[in-house]
Amino acid sequence: MALLALIEACIRGFDIPSYIFPAPSEIFKSLYAGFAAPLASKSAYYTHILTTVSEALGSFVCGSILGIALGGLIAEFPLLRRLALPYVIGLQSVPKVALAPLFVVWFGLGISSKIVLGILLTFFPLMVNTVAGFASVEKDRLELMQSLKAGSWKTFRYVKLPSALPFIFAGLEMAAAYSVLGAVVGEFVGGTSGLGVLMLNRNAALDIAGSMAALVLLAVLGIALQKLVTLARNRLLFWAPSKDVLRNAEPEPD
Amino acid sequence: MTTNNAAEAVTGKPAGLAPGEPAITVRNLAKSYRSAGRGVVNALAPVNFTVADGEFVCLVGPSGCGKSTLLKILAGILKPSGGEYRIHREGGAVADCQIGLVFQSPVLLPWRTVLQNTMLPADALELDRDAMRKRAMQLLDMVGLKGFESSYPSELSGGMQQRCSITRALLHDPPILLMDEPFGALDAMTRDVMNAELQRIRLESGKTIFLITHSISEAVFLADRILVMSARPGRIIDEVIPNLPDRASLDVMATPQFGAAVHRIRQAAGHRRQGPTQCRLSKTSQPPPSPPRQTARPPVGAIIAGC
Repeated sequence: MALLALIEACIRGFDIPSYIFPAPSEIFKSLYAGFAAPLASKSAYYTHILTTVSEALGSFVCGSILGIALGGLIAEFPLLRRLALPYVIGLQSVPKVALAPLFVVWFGLGISSKIVLGILLTFFPLMVNTVAGFASVEKDRLELMQSLKAGSWKTFRYVKLPSALPFIFAGLEMAAAYSVLGAVVGEFVGGTSGLGVLMLNRNAALDIAGSMAALVLLAVLGIALQKLVTLARNRLLFWAPSKDVLRNAEPEPD
Repeated sequence: MTTNNAAEAVTGKPAGLAPGEPAITVRNLAKSYRSAGRGVVNALAPVNFTVADGEFVCLVGPSGCGKSTLLKILAGILKPSGGEYRIHREGGAVADCQIGLVFQSPVLLPWRTVLQNTMLPADALELDRDAMRKRAMQLLDMVGLKGFESSYPSELSGGMQQRCSITRALLHDPPILLMDEPFGALDAMTRDVMNAELQRIRLESGKTIFLITHSISEAVFLADRILVMSARPGRIIDEVIPNLPDRASLDVMATPQFGAAVHRIRQAAGHRRQGPTQCRLSKTSQPPPSPPRQTARPPVGAIIAGC
């Protein structure tokens, strides 16, 4: 709040024009206008938010499922690792954002091209984390299951999967951010509605305050998705110490 | 060469334990593996010994002498590179799995409560859950974890965690308990308490116990018989039977018999000398390895490997 006030004071004090950097109050005004506008109106946020949210959620869910599934398969079947991994790594080395224009051509201006791009972005961190999670299961735990004559399915279910969950959730947190990124980049390249489209339009009209208002909404969306993952993590992984590096950075003297 | 690994040795039919037959028979068991830079490493020289039904045998030896390798072979985790071993079945075993394994660390699953951890063998072996739950509660009561059933491992002390891992090893009522330095990670005081408790559990349950330790006094306090292993490649170089007057309390550690047994093992381990028998130690020389069956393959079903 104090920071906002300071920015406001600076912008007013130094007389910075609003087409360069709008004062926070103007951004709030724009935000309010967007929400207050009638539902059907072009300038209302609702349809844009709905589009971007469904794109982000769709790619997050599909990309995560694909990433976890392939990661699990690669970890369990060494043959598959040898067959599939070169392709996956090759795909990873392509800057995926650069594929966005192609996807618009292939999948159209609608929601699906953004979801495909988002899947491509979210898939990789999940696959890598899942593989790492399965690879790092404590040897003693596996030997315990071996001594109990547990087959591979039971070992997977009772030991491997739960042991890998902290890694999978680290991947999900990354994927949450990437899915919003995928949606916005997809909309930038070509789209008819969504917060990215809104930003482009406002920018073109030099309505920087409006553009920044869309940015605020995107940030809120990203945070909300992240919070959802954290909430699920806290419920499922109550037993694992938090891997939230940023939050735990200071208080632990080692 | 009669190499029998777990996969080919396990047969469907449980073989009854003939009277007087040992619970564990190990014959010329060896393990070697390839190591980068050092060629073939012999972890375990051919080893011969037996453990009688209901006997408590401790294996002592220096670090890295292959003690754990031996135990992992008996537990069916590693495959031997030579020799054979038998783990006999007893009629009363609840499950197919005849061994309970206790590691140096508790190896509890942090997402399971104490009760759920104890119940792990029931899940893995698909045993009757209600009966096993009852048994788990009894076992937890026996080791003094009553009231902690729904706690998570992170909420327990190291000693309590290890107790929970013992209840887990006992749940499916295996006739044989294999323990790999189970109290090695505990402090000396907790260790004494746990040793006394293990002695009590053993007397109550009548299990055959094969325990690995590098603490000589722990071995003397616990075991009916102690096998001493040499440094790598591990061979059994001495066998000591401590004739202790009374094992019921830790006070036995102050008796001369206790000291003599400890001394004897220390000598065997340190100097590889087989000194004269002292006090009332009955020195039983290593039983001559029964003629290795190099030519005839043992009949299928005779060798029943661990689970």
